Amino acid sequence: MVPILFFIAAFGAIGGAVGVVMLKNPFFSVLALVGHLFSLAVLFLLLYAEFLAAAQLIVYAGAVMVLYVFVVSYVGGADEPLDDGGGAPRALAPIFGGALLAVLAVAIGASGLKALDSEGAELPAGFGEPAQIGDLLLTRFLLPFEIASFLLTVAAVGAVILARRRRGLEPIADETPTDEGSS
Amino acid sequence: MTALDFWMIAPLAEVGFEVSVWAQVIVSVIIFAVVLQLVPIVLLMERKLLGRFQGRYGPNRVGLFGAMQPLVDIVKLASKEDFVPRNAATAIFIIAPVISLVTAVATIAIVPFGNTVEDGLFGANYTLYGIDVSIGFLYAFAFGSMAFYGLMLGGWASGSKYSFLGSMRSAAQLISYELAAGLSLVGVVMMAGTLSLTEIVNKQDQMWFIVPQFVGFLIFLVASFAELNRAPFDLVEADAELVAGYQTEYGGMRFASFMMAEYMNMVVFAGIATAMFLGGWHGPGPGWLDPVWVIVKMFAFITLFVWIRATLPRLRYDQLMSFGWKILVPIAVLNVLVTATLVVAL
Repeated sequence: MVPILFFIAAFGAIGGAVGVVMLKNPFFSVLALVGHLFSLAVLFLLLYAEFLAAAQLIVYAGAVMVLYVFVVSYVGGADEPLDDGGGAPRALAPIFGGALLAVLAVAIGASGLKALDSEGAELPAGFGEPAQIGDLLLTRFLLPFEIASFLLTVAAVGAVILARRRRGLEPIADETPTDEGSS
Repeated sequence: MTALDFWMIAPLAEVGFEVSVWAQVIVSVIIFAVVLQLVPIVLLMERKLLGRFQGRYGPNRVGLFGAMQPLVDIVKLASKEDFVPRNAATAIFIIAPVISLVTAVATIAIVPFGNTVEDGLFGANYTLYGIDVSIGFLYAFAFGSMAFYGLMLGGWASGSKYSFLGSMRSAAQLISYELAAGLSLVGVVMMAGTLSLTEIVNKQDQMWFIVPQFVGFLIFLVASFAELNRAPFDLVEADAELVAGYQTEYGGMRFASFMMAEYMNMVVFAGIATAMFLGGWHGPGPGWLDPVWVIVKMFAFITLFVWIRATLPRLRYDQLMSFGWKILVPIAVLNVLVTATLVVAL
């Protein structure tokens, strides 16, 4: 089952990624991204990273992408097809794409693909389980973990301030001009 | 490695116990069949109870006391034409109910109906649950967040305003209340020290977690009403405003699939609540009563769902949102903080 699942998920991930950039309708683009993230979660599962797979589905496919779908189905859709940006983006895209491909090729090639014919590394007990990940996050990776949470708090506060500045969260009564006309 | 082993070696297939592949297959089929039979029973129970709550009989024409009503309903729905509205996005319109049903069925696997059994029936070792994953209830939440796409795509692809508004409401509602539901379970997880549902049930042999985690239980209860789109939080399909929300344009078996997924989710949520708070299979009597106790507790939970539906009027949309974000989430966070402090201190 594992090899079959791997190929289904691998083609799903690549197909989803291609779909995101190729589809003209933004709504279908977002759906392709959902498919891509779902396939990635399956790949994580095949690598015995259960918690990561669940987090991938709950956070990315289940929360972040829901927001995308929400926004795109209100303001996007077939009426506003995506173009490729034209001009500079069109000229630069192949260069950056090629550069990324070269970096990945060197990284993969340098490993010599030695593990291909072996059974892979030995799995430590409890690998990928929530307990072990929590342990690592609170010991070895405590600083990056805290910095990331601080960054997210700043982003959330910033979003609220931006929304307030545009009077998005204030009562409608405040929006009507007053006698002084000051605003 | 036999051919069967090849198919059974898959991620998440762990049961934490030495069982033969055949035992696992048979148990899975039995659990699937039993839970599938619970769905029409729940459906009938809801209609009968609602009838009584409202001073009428409920369905009582087909079979003894109307017991065959779900069966004839399914026959009726199955024999209807599978139509697609003209301005619908056909492919997505067809696949949306499938997503709902698949994710609902997938979550059945983690509901524990009993412990592991050594030398049980026919002298075989087997488990009375589908799988026992290390990520525990996060498995159900992962599929729950995929189930959202069933509602969302169904409403979007219908090409109707009511469906669209229903699915937009479901997007906002599910995200808001998933947070509270997840946080409410963290207290239990911290007390048990594990995410695995069977381990959590095993930790409750002295005292059910509903006692020390009563606040968490209440939050989970309220949030699950919203997650399951049940009254008083059924704004997703509020009949008075949106006809039937995301499923307005659906008919026949596609509609039945949505309906079945909804009731199956209800059964699964009742099962998870039973395992997390109500002591799972623990109860008086011999060991073979374990699954019966789980089902009895699940039905107690489902009766509560029906009772609340008959009692409370639907909330307004802004009330729903502010209740979720300004009351439920802060209380859930506070519950987590207090539980964490007590767990460390004691």
